[in-house]
Amino acid sequence: MRVNIILLTFLLLVPASATFGKADITAIKAGRILTISDNPIMDGVILIRDGKIADIGTGIEIPENASIIDAGNKVVMPGLVDASAVPPVRGDLNEQSDEITPTIRISTALNPQSKVLKRMVQTGTTTLYVSPGWRNVIAGLGVVVKPTGKTPQEMIIKKDVALTTVMSLDSLYGNRTPRSQPPTNFYFRRPTTRMAIIWMLRKGFFDAQGYAKSGKKDDPDLEILASVLDDKIPVRLNVRRAINIRTALKLAEEYDFQLILDECTEGYKVAEEIAQKQVPVVLGPFYYYPGSSSQFREGREVNWNNAGILTKAGVKVALTSGAQAQSIDLLTAAAFAVRHGMPYDKALKAVTIIPAEILGVADKVGTLEKGKDADILILSGDPLKVTTRIEQVLLNGKTVYKAQ
Amino acid sequence: MKYKSYKAFVAMFLMAFVTSTWVLAAPVRKKLAVKAGSIITISGADIKNGTILIEDGIIKAVGKKVEIPWDAFVIEAKDRIIMPGFVLAHTSSGLDRANENIPEVPFLSTFDSIDPVSSYFEDSLRDGVVAMLVLPGNSTLLGGTGTVVKPHGITVEAMLIKRYTGLKISLRPTGNTSRMGHMQRFRRYMSDLKDYLEEYEQRKADAKEEKKPFDEEIDIRKQPMVDLLNKKLTAFIYCDRASDVPKAIEIHETHKFNTVLVLSPYCYQAAPLIAQKKLPVILSPELIIWETNEETNEEEMKVIPMIFHKAGVKFAFQTDTSQYGRRYLWYQAATAVRHGMKRTEALKSITLYPAQFIGVDDRLGSIQAGKEATLIFLTSDPLDAQAWVDKVMVAGEIVYEKEKDQRLKKLLEKPKEIQEPKDTD
Repeated sequence: MRVNIILLTFLLLVPASATFGKADITAIKAGRILTISDNPIMDGVILIRDGKIADIGTGIEIPENASIIDAGNKVVMPGLVDASAVPPVRGDLNEQSDEITPTIRISTALNPQSKVLKRMVQTGTTTLYVSPGWRNVIAGLGVVVKPTGKTPQEMIIKKDVALTTVMSLDSLYGNRTPRSQPPTNFYFRRPTTRMAIIWMLRKGFFDAQGYAKSGKKDDPDLEILASVLDDKIPVRLNVRRAINIRTALKLAEEYDFQLILDECTEGYKVAEEIAQKQVPVVLGPFYYYPGSSSQFREGREVNWNNAGILTKAGVKVALTSGAQAQSIDLLTAAAFAVRHGMPYDKALKAVTIIPAEILGVADKVGTLEKGKDADILILSGDPLKVTTRIEQVLLNGKTVYKAQ
Repeated sequence: MKYKSYKAFVAMFLMAFVTSTWVLAAPVRKKLAVKAGSIITISGADIKNGTILIEDGIIKAVGKKVEIPWDAFVIEAKDRIIMPGFVLAHTSSGLDRANENIPEVPFLSTFDSIDPVSSYFEDSLRDGVVAMLVLPGNSTLLGGTGTVVKPHGITVEAMLIKRYTGLKISLRPTGNTSRMGHMQRFRRYMSDLKDYLEEYEQRKADAKEEKKPFDEEIDIRKQPMVDLLNKKLTAFIYCDRASDVPKAIEIHETHKFNTVLVLSPYCYQAAPLIAQKKLPVILSPELIIWETNEETNEEEMKVIPMIFHKAGVKFAFQTDTSQYGRRYLWYQAATAVRHGMKRTEALKSITLYPAQFIGVDDRLGSIQAGKEATLIFLTSDPLDAQAWVDKVMVAGEIVYEKEKDQRLKKLLEKPKEIQEPKDTD
């Protein structure tokens, strides 16, 4: 009986794996392959097996059973990585019951059917980091996902990637000081000043230090904060003004946690200090001029060349869509960064490998190298030309978008 | 009283002095020859290593073999691409407030509201725009008349290219008004206007019969609408939805207006109808939208300019300041080219076509003998994100130079000294 079952499974498996193998080898022939990790390859081939890059280079023998994508004289590059993307989540991103919510995970709210994901694919983004909103001082844990899969589990490629914290004034939004009503009222949340934001952050980490020393295991919130202090989870700190950036750097030193600066509108003013501390920066949305809406409230002085100045100082800079609902694509962001003074190759890296490194997924995505995921864009020309269009997008070796 | 007139006299004297020195500081050369690396003429083929001959601010000749007169001042621009300055056919920026909250105010003019010191105009010049029609916003039924200005000059008068151009009609209802009520309000206005005109003509005829002098003028509050009927003004009709387009066409056909449609992106479904009626169109700044296909439930990218281009509609691009790129006309054109629009057509949509729509194509929009020498000098191809406007020439006079642009310098360079917060005690 047992022999029979084994035989049966074997018989079933052989043809299945044969067809599986046949369908799953893809070869892309392209005139110009921008590997990002190394020099561009002219007239090269990328061999994809089981969703991974099996081989890349010139003079590679294409197996007979491979399906071939002939990209002729087109340009091929790795799929883009958005280190601060619009979350594919329905409903509000901000939990309002408390200010310190480190245990809240956006991974529990992902919607694989979200329209946002399909738009991202069409503009070339194949890996994205999403996090809870910016209205809590300690907002929760973010996740790296790919815009594919039928369940949240299938989308996720890395959990608990970073702890989203907010030092910019966004965390004051909606908070009111008690006046006519008793201060115990549920609706009166703190903080209401910049001082209190920083106090709350400090207190959180201070408590976590004590918690770690006590050896207790009874507070999930402090558990997360303790693992932040233990360098297991980096902190993504949202800051805009130079004065805040300095405070953030100080705080990171004080409590010795791994810091990543988010948005960083006035980063250009303190570029050297950021570079010295080797803190990476995930830039927010680009603004031509400061305005009056809450997003602008703090970036009073903008510099169009923020990315360029930071890069020149030696800071690792990722360009992002800034979690904005309007569809800004990363290639446009990179093209404009170059226009304003960022070196061309750095701008390309700032939408591929740099964000992948910041997110800790550089072993999977960000460049075209052997063994990495086959997330590939086929473009009609130079990626940083506005007139270039994305013709085909492959995600884990499968075509997920093809321009008509 | 005496004191006042004395003051006025001094002020006038000072003004005259200031203007005279200003004129002296920037002399307009009588004869100019611009030697360009490449000339995008728009009206004809591109010219490599050509020369543009300019006399009194007017282009006299363009070509490869243009003889340069001995007394012409030569501007060397061998490493530059020269093309006609961009024209913006519709904007409501640079105004104090774009919409009056009374729905029927055709007698208003943006001339009274344009703010010359607004950074919008400074930016526009930096971005290569040389003429723009400033119209009231899209939230007033009969919003008022527009003004064509160049984004250069210290007063509205100095900026002026053409006053009293175009009248904005918006089909988007505001407040609690329904679309039914909005259209009805328009129809009632027009029927009242026709009654008024009939009565006016009657009074005129009666006066003639009785051989009395007739000096009654048309009510100035109604004059712009009368001028629409006379085709002295063009109607710029804003449509917020595809369903507004047939209404705009109804207005256009009933009253025989000269019409230009100003469209929101969601009007793309009416593209075949607009093509059939051969109406000129100003596209919304938002060129790409996503919509869910109801059959497949898939998100589909809709490239608005391509839909109109394929339908055969002649259109102009416009800009807004909200996002990357969209503030630049060249970016709008490049976006359309990315999705398959012909390059020459896309370039016309930011130069010649908008000039035609706002009635300045006799002076602007292309590089041709007889037109005004209003040119932009670019560092590389106009549709490339790395191209900068190096110089802007308006009627033979250089009015912008990138290297002298202090604001741009401040926006791109690292601040030399960072001001540390000072101790206040």
